[in-house]
Amino acid sequence: MRSAEMTAEPAEARQLSFSFLRPSRSAAIGTVAVIAFLVLWQIAPGMGWVNGRFTSRPTEVFLAAIDVFKNDNFLFHARISLTEFFAGFILAIVVSIPLGVLLGTSKIARYLIDPPLMALYIAPTLVLLPIMVIWLGIDMAPKIAVVFLGAVFPIVLNTMAGMSEADPRFLRMARSFGASKFDIFTRVLVPGSLPALLTGLRLAVGRAVLGVIVGELFVSQAGIGYQLNLYGSAMRIDRLLVYALIVSAFGYTLTVLVRSVENKVRDWRSK
Amino acid sequence: MIAELFYRRQALVLGTLSMIGIVVFWQIAVDTGFINPFFISTPSQVAAEFITQFEDGSVATNVAATLYCFAWSLGLATVVGIILGMLAGWFADVESALEPFIWFKYSAPTVAFYPLFVAWLGYGTPTIIAIAFLFALTPIYANTLSGIKNTDRDLARAARSFGARPLDIFLRVALPGSVPVMIAGLRLGVGRALTGVVVAELFGANAGLGYAITYYGQLMQTTKMMVSIVIVIVLGVVLTQILSFLETKTDSWRVDSSR
Amino acid sequence: MAQIEIRDLGIDYRKPKSNEVFSAVDNVALSVEKGEFVTIVGSSGCGKSTLLMAVAGLVSLTRGSIQIDGKQISGPGPDRAVVFQEASLLPWRSVRGNVKFGLEMQRWNGGDLNERAMQMIRLVGLGRFSDYHPHQLSGGMRQRVNIARALAVDPQVLLMDEPFGALDAQTREIMGTELLRIWERDKKTALFVTHDIDEAIFLADKIVVMGRNPGHIKEVIKVDLPRPRNEAILDSEDFHELRKRLRAHLAEDMSSMQLVQEVA
Repeated sequence: MRSAEMTAEPAEARQLSFSFLRPSRSAAIGTVAVIAFLVLWQIAPGMGWVNGRFTSRPTEVFLAAIDVFKNDNFLFHARISLTEFFAGFILAIVVSIPLGVLLGTSKIARYLIDPPLMALYIAPTLVLLPIMVIWLGIDMAPKIAVVFLGAVFPIVLNTMAGMSEADPRFLRMARSFGASKFDIFTRVLVPGSLPALLTGLRLAVGRAVLGVIVGELFVSQAGIGYQLNLYGSAMRIDRLLVYALIVSAFGYTLTVLVRSVENKVRDWRSK
Repeated sequence: MIAELFYRRQALVLGTLSMIGIVVFWQIAVDTGFINPFFISTPSQVAAEFITQFEDGSVATNVAATLYCFAWSLGLATVVGIILGMLAGWFADVESALEPFIWFKYSAPTVAFYPLFVAWLGYGTPTIIAIAFLFALTPIYANTLSGIKNTDRDLARAARSFGARPLDIFLRVALPGSVPVMIAGLRLGVGRALTGVVVAELFGANAGLGYAITYYGQLMQTTKMMVSIVIVIVLGVVLTQILSFLETKTDSWRVDSSR
Repeated sequence: MAQIEIRDLGIDYRKPKSNEVFSAVDNVALSVEKGEFVTIVGSSGCGKSTLLMAVAGLVSLTRGSIQIDGKQISGPGPDRAVVFQEASLLPWRSVRGNVKFGLEMQRWNGGDLNERAMQMIRLVGLGRFSDYHPHQLSGGMRQRVNIARALAVDPQVLLMDEPFGALDAQTREIMGTELLRIWERDKKTALFVTHDIDEAIFLADKIVVMGRNPGHIKEVIKVDLPRPRNEAILDSEDFHELRKRLRAHLAEDMSSMQLVQEVA
């Protein structure tokens, strides 16, 4: 069995890397850059380089953050925005995944649906916000609608692409075992389109967050965007920044989550 | 012969057909009362309104205002994005220093800082250009970075073996090699710049397509809104197509075997 | 009666742009007995892969017939299994999941799927790696999984299309010996396409030499070397003789190819 074991050496055993050393340098430089930025930001108003009223400072923002979390009804606003976000996003997923899967399998359907979909994907769907307000009022509905619109197109387009770019060698292999069309669809095509679907999801997240915030900036009576608008008009830059950072953190967390799943899936593909 | 034409340009034919189909469906849906015309108007009304607005010059004014901000923001984003992207792609330390900020910018919707920009720059053109600039910056920077960073190692090595200095390698190998990727980034940037301009115009402007949409929106005049909306969509497609065309022209330069 | 009977086989293709018709194979007749290991060798373009795909049922015939155990074939079936050159292992399934794939497609009811899969995995020497995913395996290992998957469905005929073509020379040699070891167990009828002369002789009971323009059988050579085969055989006189004959055939094709290229 010796010859068998000779060729039975897993690929990962061959890699010997010192990459644990390298990230440290880039992480260190990154950290230094951020600290330098924060320091500059802190002293700039005091030095007269910028007007402190317009830029605030890290320390003020920090204090404002504590204040916001304790006294500002933060959870109330957060819940509203999160509801709008997830309602629209989940609705988009429910609609776009089946649509993308089905459309991706028919060449004719793809040629028919691709152009209008691409046009709508490129076009800023936020432009429809005012019309949504006319249709749906000024409560949560128009925001859910723009979140939905923002998320739908990248997911459908990417899922369609994933379905249609299936490796023909997989299909030939499946056929050689006499697999039925249904089996090929469920066991080869759909799982194979998962990476593309995840990419679509990641792109959709950014647009969906954009949808909630812009929607709330445009018209709202509560929510994170409402607070952003409020403090912007009142020139409370410190609080404005707190809310802006909260939105960033949210978007960042979601994107990182999707990316990590994407990376795991991509590992499967690496040769 | 027609069958052959159909076969070769299948995509184009079907695409045009579906666009026409949508317009027809739209008209019929409203005519039969399926959809209330108040909400979405009709193709015929929108077309008529478009001619009116075209003749009284408001189309030209709005498109010009939007394109003005668009050109400025895209131009700035291109210059800044390419320069930063090249530096970051060539010098790993620059990339490391910029990375946290880019990540932040990537996950923070720029629009969240819109009130901040308004506080700094007031309502109007400077804010619009600033927002759209930031919108468009990300893909241009990211693609330039990726293009330079992922220069074909074999090519660089071959150049080095002929005695090329780093500057030579940058100018003769890295730069040309990354043109296709950079143009792809530009294509993405175009869409985002337009989005940024129009969205910013929704809030605070006194001319431009976004402004027109909000203005008529407040007056609940859907037909007039639809004119601007359709123009925005068409603009987006046309501008992106121009860059797609450019992209295919430089596609022959592509070296990576992964294609 | 032979297990595989191919009569008057002709397969034509239509070129998409020019609408020209050209013959991939023409006038091919072949008999393969049960339990024979047959290698099909020839230079590129001689139609050997097309012939194999036809027996697999993945390519339709223009003329003639292919019968297996007396029945005309019409598409893929559970009586045949293919080992392709690219392993085509589904990346989201483990080794075990991949070996089970064929069983699932054919609704195997001969017992527990997992057990059958593990049996095959152990047979090809990958018992320790049943939970690994394809991206963690080397090329040789992936081809073993490929072979295990094909054997799992217990086909009557094993069809292999240059399975070791993408591997480096050393791995190829080892895999050849391995394949024979695995084959010795059930001695399934096998059709093995290759362009490697040594491989063609080493593995075979019978060698089918094919030529081009259009693809046809030039000669069928019996190989009487004793089994089980080992590396020592490569140095024997009989082996050298066979090698000379095959090289002569291939040299013919080489020169005719050059002629065509110069004229063109």
